[in-house]
Amino acid sequence: MIFGYLDPGSGSLILQAVVGGLTGLAVTVKALRSKRAMKRAVKDGAPVDEEAIEDTSLPAEP
Amino acid sequence: MSSADPGSFRDPASRVVIDGDRVFRLLDERGMQAWRVLAASEFFPKAVADGRVVAASELSPPPPGSAGALEHPSLPFISYPYEWTFSMLKDAALLQLDLLRDALGAGLTIKDATPYNIQFVEGSPVFIDVGSFEEYRPGEPWIGYRQFTRQFLFPLMLRAWLGVPFQPWLRGDIEGPTPAQMANLLGGKKRFNSGALFHVRLQARMEARMSDRAIRSDLKSAGFSADLILANVRKLRSLVESLEWEHTTDGWSEYGSCSHVARDRSAKTEFLEEEMSSSSPRRVLDLGANDAHFSMVAAQRGALAIAVDGDEAVLEDVYGRARGLDLAIALSDLANPSPSQGWGGVERPSLFQRANPDLVIAYGLIHHLIYAASIPPREVVSWLRSFDCAVIVEFVSPADEMVGRLVGNKLPDELHGEREESDFRTLIAECFEVRSERRLSPERVLFALRPLS
Repeated sequence: MIFGYLDPGSGSLILQAVVGGLTGLAVTVKALRSKRAMKRAVKDGAPVDEEAIEDTSLPAEP
Repeated sequence: MSSADPGSFRDPASRVVIDGDRVFRLLDERGMQAWRVLAASEFFPKAVADGRVVAASELSPPPPGSAGALEHPSLPFISYPYEWTFSMLKDAALLQLDLLRDALGAGLTIKDATPYNIQFVEGSPVFIDVGSFEEYRPGEPWIGYRQFTRQFLFPLMLRAWLGVPFQPWLRGDIEGPTPAQMANLLGGKKRFNSGALFHVRLQARMEARMSDRAIRSDLKSAGFSADLILANVRKLRSLVESLEWEHTTDGWSEYGSCSHVARDRSAKTEFLEEEMSSSSPRRVLDLGANDAHFSMVAAQRGALAIAVDGDEAVLEDVYGRARGLDLAIALSDLANPSPSQGWGGVERPSLFQRANPDLVIAYGLIHHLIYAASIPPREVVSWLRSFDCAVIVEFVSPADEMVGRLVGNKLPDELHGEREESDFRTLIAECFEVRSERRLSPERVLFALRPLS
């Protein structure tokens, strides 16, 4: 676990990838896609990597 | 007797403790691990040597209950960003970005980005929170980015782009404006500036959309790297560099050109030098410092001078001349000085708690408090006594030309009593001993006072 006393804000974190031109854009798309895939998997009841779920602290559906 | 610094508690890995004139940093296991990496790096000794980061030496053995401890040199005066001028905050922002860039080059990062980690020593910014450095873990984004925008970038934008002073905002909200608040404030052409579009509008939108989603590990697995942080830092640096405050030199800034100021300056300087020779003060608090002429006289005679004034433009010029001098700057309205605030009401002590002077200079000041701020003369004298140290004060009678300008349209019965010189002598005799006095003109007298016990 990576411990931090400061809340970095998810929106602000993803923005840091956007700034990095094409490489950054690729990282942004990949990160957001992996987030969506994880959510879909949980929704469909598919087996998922428990550790990965814990790491990403999946939010409740809005 | 040691006590925990009331402003150092947010980071559990590292906490500052004050023991008399000595400053210690107590570290837990994680903090100690980070310190070992920092101390072994090429970056740290170089940053200390060039004065950008405060020095630190490890204590062995550490005090019981901590995994490690460091000792730092004591800083002469602590000031807060709501007491800084535009250029001070800008220089602090550039230092923060440069240190992050250089730290990343050495495999380190800075885990936060707050101006409270920066202090001014002899007119230059110095990074004081050694506990903020830690090893950079591949794939990690810059955790302090959001904090940097709120506490450095947006306040600078407020002044440079909107002409709005940032100090009242930072004094009212220690965390600084949010991206959404800045997006609401920025209108006109500035809205389309690339820095505004990205760091303000896009950040505000992303925050709103992703408020409940953790993304850190997704970024890592998607290939996030330190190069992306460096690209962000480069762009932020050029944005901060481009921000300028075009201030006008009106009002107080032209005060030095008033006839009585030029006429009395050498007599006042002499009076101050006599006082300094007799009492040898170590810390001189110059209230209503204006162009800080008297602060500089005190600094040149070996004291730490703290120049306090409510005019940002005039202190901008002082900051430009302060490098290498034992001169601290605090922007504050003396009728409403920085209070003690933050967590528990003590996290950020008041300006005067931090000043701790053994000589107060109140030249050309009290008539402004009495006539412009409507403070009763008795209250003003009592306030001067509250510093519990020697005071040199200039009394200005109601017949003075400047008082006439300050009174403006107020009628005599709308002013407080006890305004005459005879009243002032009675008031100071109640709580001070008059050590010496010098008449500058029929309307102006200097007094050197010692508090009565």
